[in-house]
Amino acid sequence: MAGSNRSYQMDVKNSAAGEQAVGYTFCDGCNQAPFCGIKFFKTGNIVTRIESWPGFPAAPLCTKAYGTLQRLYHPNRLKYPLKRVSPKGALTPDFVRISWDETYDIIVGHLNRIKKEYGPQAAFFYVGDPKEPRAAVQRLAATYGSVNYGTESSTACRRAALLAELLTYGFSTLGNLPTQKTGVVLIWGTNPAYSGRPFMCHGQLADAKENGVKFIVVDPRKTPTAATLADIHLRPRPATTAALAAGIMHVIFKEELHDRAFCEKWIHGIEELRNYVQDFAPDRVEKITWVPAEQITAAARLYATNGPGGMLLGPQGTIHDLNATNNHRAILMIPAICGYIDIPDGITKPTEPLEGMAPWFDGPPDFSMRAKFNEMKSDRLDRKVFPAWAEKFWEVQTNHLVEWVKSGKIKAFLAWGFSTMIWPQTHEYQQAIASLEFSMAVDYFYRPWTHDYVDLVLPAAMNFERLAPFAVFGRQIFGRTPVKPIGECKEDWQIALEIGTRLGYPEIFFNGDVEAACNDILAMWGLTYDDLKKNQEKGVTVPPRGPEIFKKYETGKLRLDGKVGFETPSGKIEAVSLVLKKHGYPALCEYKEPMATTRKFPLVLISGSRVPYITHSKWRQDSPWLFELQRQALLTINPQDAANRNIEKNDAVILKTPWGQMTVTAKPTILMPAGIVGVEHGWQDANVNELIPRQFDPISGFPPFKEIICEVVKKEHA
Amino acid sequence: MAKYAIIVDLDRCSGCMTCVIACKQENLTRPTVWWNKILELEDENLDRITYVRHACMHCEDPPCLAACSHAAIFRRPDGIVLIDHEKCLGDADCADACPYGAIDINPAAEYFPDQQLPFEEDTEPHRQHPPGKAGTCTLCVHRIEAGQEPLCVESCTAKAMIFGDLDDPDSLIHKKLGKSIPLLAAEGTHPKVRYICSDNLLKEIETRLRKNPKMAR
Repeated sequence: MAGSNRSYQMDVKNSAAGEQAVGYTFCDGCNQAPFCGIKFFKTGNIVTRIESWPGFPAAPLCTKAYGTLQRLYHPNRLKYPLKRVSPKGALTPDFVRISWDETYDIIVGHLNRIKKEYGPQAAFFYVGDPKEPRAAVQRLAATYGSVNYGTESSTACRRAALLAELLTYGFSTLGNLPTQKTGVVLIWGTNPAYSGRPFMCHGQLADAKENGVKFIVVDPRKTPTAATLADIHLRPRPATTAALAAGIMHVIFKEELHDRAFCEKWIHGIEELRNYVQDFAPDRVEKITWVPAEQITAAARLYATNGPGGMLLGPQGTIHDLNATNNHRAILMIPAICGYIDIPDGITKPTEPLEGMAPWFDGPPDFSMRAKFNEMKSDRLDRKVFPAWAEKFWEVQTNHLVEWVKSGKIKAFLAWGFSTMIWPQTHEYQQAIASLEFSMAVDYFYRPWTHDYVDLVLPAAMNFERLAPFAVFGRQIFGRTPVKPIGECKEDWQIALEIGTRLGYPEIFFNGDVEAACNDILAMWGLTYDDLKKNQEKGVTVPPRGPEIFKKYETGKLRLDGKVGFETPSGKIEAVSLVLKKHGYPALCEYKEPMATTRKFPLVLISGSRVPYITHSKWRQDSPWLFELQRQALLTINPQDAANRNIEKNDAVILKTPWGQMTVTAKPTILMPAGIVGVEHGWQDANVNELIPRQFDPISGFPPFKEIICEVVKKEHA
Repeated sequence: MAKYAIIVDLDRCSGCMTCVIACKQENLTRPTVWWNKILELEDENLDRITYVRHACMHCEDPPCLAACSHAAIFRRPDGIVLIDHEKCLGDADCADACPYGAIDINPAAEYFPDQQLPFEEDTEPHRQHPPGKAGTCTLCVHRIEAGQEPLCVESCTAKAMIFGDLDDPDSLIHKKLGKSIPLLAAEGTHPKVRYICSDNLLKEIETRLRKNPKMAR
């Protein structure tokens, strides 16, 4: 050993970095896309150390990225394909190792049989975490002939917020980072200090604060974002979003602080909105939301009088309740009535998104065969139950999977990176999947809560071992330089392309060649992967056709048809949504009273909020460095609520809702306000989603992860 | 000669633990050993949660150095305090003497018992931690020698840490020095890791530190 005969802490020269080759890849830790950039050092094929990729648009790295190094060589990694030889759901599932040839024979055999017996729509294709193979899997589903493709986004993440954005603004935005000239930022239901939106930007937000930008943070929890940035921190009762937004707008209208000209010209339903929020005086809103009236007034004044104003919204913090879509729409109306949309230093929309691409994480439309999906639209399983959703997205809302399996509409499920714990009443989905004629999952590790219920488990190459996809930020494109995968692992794209090839479409699937598939996309900009390799660290920038411009709604540069206005049916920002009206939904961004607490269930549960070193269930055990920081689910509870229940730190407690109960470890903390408790999602032994009912926001189909009533009691030991 | 130091701005630290895991990855410390730690400090009366990044203070007058009877601890001319494993016998006098709880005796535990991961095999000396020897933050001296900052500083997502040379009057850290305060000044250790925080928060941290120097979460 090098340290045995010398004092190793003195032996600096031998330790200096250098002499190693470097490589580049992305972190898939947050299932954020495009991902954060990793620069790694390697000796031969062995990755030895990582750093942030210098100059990469998504930076800096966080705990999860550093953890990917340990994950890469985890001894428990799946290294070859596995075939089930015991009944699905058996207590001790038994799998045997098989070859890739046999694996593909099984998959293709089932797909061909199912197409013949039931039609191709009976096969459901799914991409969970990571998002990376979305483009390749859509191409596979479309070529095979199934429109029934869904993702974790079309289950519980991001899409409901996006739906609200498309219905209201007509374009996708969760807001953007403030500039030097931004006056005030509204951060609602997200904690950018911990979770990557737009990436680990806390340092930049702290800089903005030092530069004088004001911050309003809306979050029931005293997050580090609220604690370090907020000039005003509003802490609402969960799921009362639309009432709080109405209260803020009430003050803005009443004090005539809104942008009158913009409202009159560019907001459809402005009078209905004004009339509606008249009933939401701060005193009444305080009763509904628990936010003090004077804070509502102060926030309204701060936001409306310090333009240009920006916003940072979460992809899911405000859309996990039974009024998800209209709650999120209500938030979006606040910057709208202030006229902060598409103005410099406000809420901006890029003038020149990369042609043929946006948005990147959904897959480029041509390569992903979006036209084919549109042709097959009438076969969508979600068309009748979530019509507004089905009109806006090609991804199927997956929450009715149980019903579709039970009624025989789905016979096979092909999934990349999927976890059954994403769904409320998880066991119903596990049983549904177990009852299918065929199912397969591609993953890094054997995950019992999911893989106990499938027929085949395929070993996926990890981030350091993947070539596809490349990353796109605005007009910048970056490639990566993979090391050889361990064992027989293959990257997600390769598996999808090889299935397609063996189904009989070698040309469409590039004979399984991942680089050729990437080149097919890159050809849109006259590039090949070689160009990315030649410009490895700096990436390639496709020059824009013109400068960044604002107020594009005035010049016809927001709409595809070139007409002035916003990309909505009315051509305006829609306080009253014509799409929602058409489908018989409440068309104004109305408040709906959440589930009422009772004597038996006096608390409200926020599930699924993040700790910084965990995103999804996969991170619970993939890296011991991270697992060591927290080995069990924690229930966060206000110290007073805890004291009232005789609960102390690290006590085992029972969390109960009307739908189930589980044991967790208590952490009394002022992070939580009185009356609200929090628990993370995705712990196998304490899966909070078993405590959540299968009830859904009627517009988006999203589950109420942040609305459910509950009680916490100390677990008495015998 | 350089005099390396770190200032931690507690108005920025978000407790995201990136420094903790970046350090793990860089230095490959053994299980239960964290050279960077984050303390969560809650003040119910003030309704305030503060996150405190904590590690070896690289003191100008390190009590660990004086406490070691084998002269295994030394301070380099640039102020970095290191442990010489050839001389260290692991009797932990240093750990007992450190008021900041910054020194651990390396345990024998491994993340994967009897299984070295490929990047752990034949790795650089600074990433090896013989069981039974004392270990503490080296300020990433291997990186400093290569012209880089300690990884905790470079990786900080909140830009809460400033690393630099106190002897360089043009350095950012020199400019911020006046705003920063040391922990446990009364101990006379003259720590070169300093904090930007209010006096009453400093007292809170010190109280907690005296109660539990290992700064367990």
